[in-house]
Amino acid sequence: MKHTLTDDKLTLFLAGRIDSANAAETEAEVQQICEAETFTSIVLDMDELEYISSAGLRIVLRLLKAHPGLTVVNVSAEVYEILEMTGFTEMLPVTKAYRKLSVDGCEIIGKGANGTVYRWDRDTILKVYHNPDSLPDIQRERELARKAFVLGVPTAIPYDVVRVGDSYGTVFELLNAEVFAQKLNKEPEWLDECAHRLVDLLKIIHGTVVKPEDMPDQKAVTLGWAKFLKDYLPADQYEKLYALIDAIPEDHHMMHGDYHAKNVMLQNGESLLIDMDTLCQGHPVFEFASIFLAYQGFHEPTPPEFIDFMGLPYAACRELLHRIMKYYFNVEDEAAYNHILDKARVIGYTRLMRRTIRRDPDSEAGKALIAHCAAQLAILLNTVDSLTF
Amino acid sequence: MIIEKKIINKTLEIALTGRLDTVTAPDLESELTASIDGIEHLVMDFTKLEYISSAGLRVLLSAQKMMNEQGSMEVCHVNDSIREVFDITGFTDVLTIK
Repeated sequence: MKHTLTDDKLTLFLAGRIDSANAAETEAEVQQICEAETFTSIVLDMDELEYISSAGLRIVLRLLKAHPGLTVVNVSAEVYEILEMTGFTEMLPVTKAYRKLSVDGCEIIGKGANGTVYRWDRDTILKVYHNPDSLPDIQRERELARKAFVLGVPTAIPYDVVRVGDSYGTVFELLNAEVFAQKLNKEPEWLDECAHRLVDLLKIIHGTVVKPEDMPDQKAVTLGWAKFLKDYLPADQYEKLYALIDAIPEDHHMMHGDYHAKNVMLQNGESLLIDMDTLCQGHPVFEFASIFLAYQGFHEPTPPEFIDFMGLPYAACRELLHRIMKYYFNVEDEAAYNHILDKARVIGYTRLMRRTIRRDPDSEAGKALIAHCAAQLAILLNTVDSLTF
Repeated sequence: MIIEKKIINKTLEIALTGRLDTVTAPDLESELTASIDGIEHLVMDFTKLEYISSAGLRVLLSAQKMMNEQGSMEVCHVNDSIREVFDITGFTDVLTIK
């Protein structure tokens, strides 16, 4: 029997069939390993176990008596059914194995930086992540999407996490939908409706209250960004920046965190939110900081005519930002609009400056962007006295 | 999808046959909006429902919210695959499933 010992945790790997024919032998092996090793917790890995009879279950029972912290992991659907029927799933923690899927012959419908999307069947797609170590991130995104879905935010159903070869993936509901940015590029006259739709959905998201423990607190994240800039900003500016962010009241409303026209889709007249890994909670000013960056900030100081990442002309991005602000805040005149946008820009440049210092501090473009952020912050911190609205 | 509707006293019973998806969900929504006034008990019979999409789940969610205000709602005779969708999405905790 294979076994491993890591950080005082002993894992025993059960394989094949365990029934009356080999139960005694299996138990002797288990005992031998337990006596030979020193450990504080014990786990049974059933990934390769096909069948377990009552004789096998009695081994598990005796092991549980001797080690009350015993857990069972990687249980196939068949073995899980046995454990459930016999009441074992109520006696000790049992974790199911991920379904194993093969994408051989599946149609590829999209490829991104992190993964490939396949059509799985009539109603579902399978997103396979390239990085085999991405499991915690996958589980995190799925959990966030699930919470938002139950709270009534329109999005695709995240089904289960699965194994695909050495990688992991998530099965999602297939949407017969078009990305907003794509539709807008084809039909420029759709811009006004697009802005209204983005605002309507944003108000649903911002009107949803979440539990403090369910999603990250964006204020804490933003304070972290500001702290990073301590050595890069004049002391008085840094202190004002920190105090401004710190004064934003605690807020448990949901925000998307990366809300732009590529993360919203249109299906049968309904707007649907996708890419839920950035969901968090906080005051809407944090959302508008990221909206500002997506449509404008990221492309400064010398924006190209066409924004490849968005698939839209820069002029359309600016106009979209303008109308989103106008409709969300119900403001008409330029001054009122800029007054609110400046608050979001303070946070936007804070994030962009930190990000550029970390990712691209030495290139000419990087240096220019860092100087641009610092200059904008210097102007804004001189005039902005509160980040709330 | 076929929607069969029955009102007895203040109980509204809705039986669905087929697929409750993005195409058919608006039909269910308008049937509900038309009949829910004064209803104290809503029963959704899923005996013959084969599939439910996120659009269908959202209609259930808003029906549940309405019924929280004016009475109660239950979903009954749910098949295994739809029950799994309820489990996976966390709807098991939101709906009363019988």
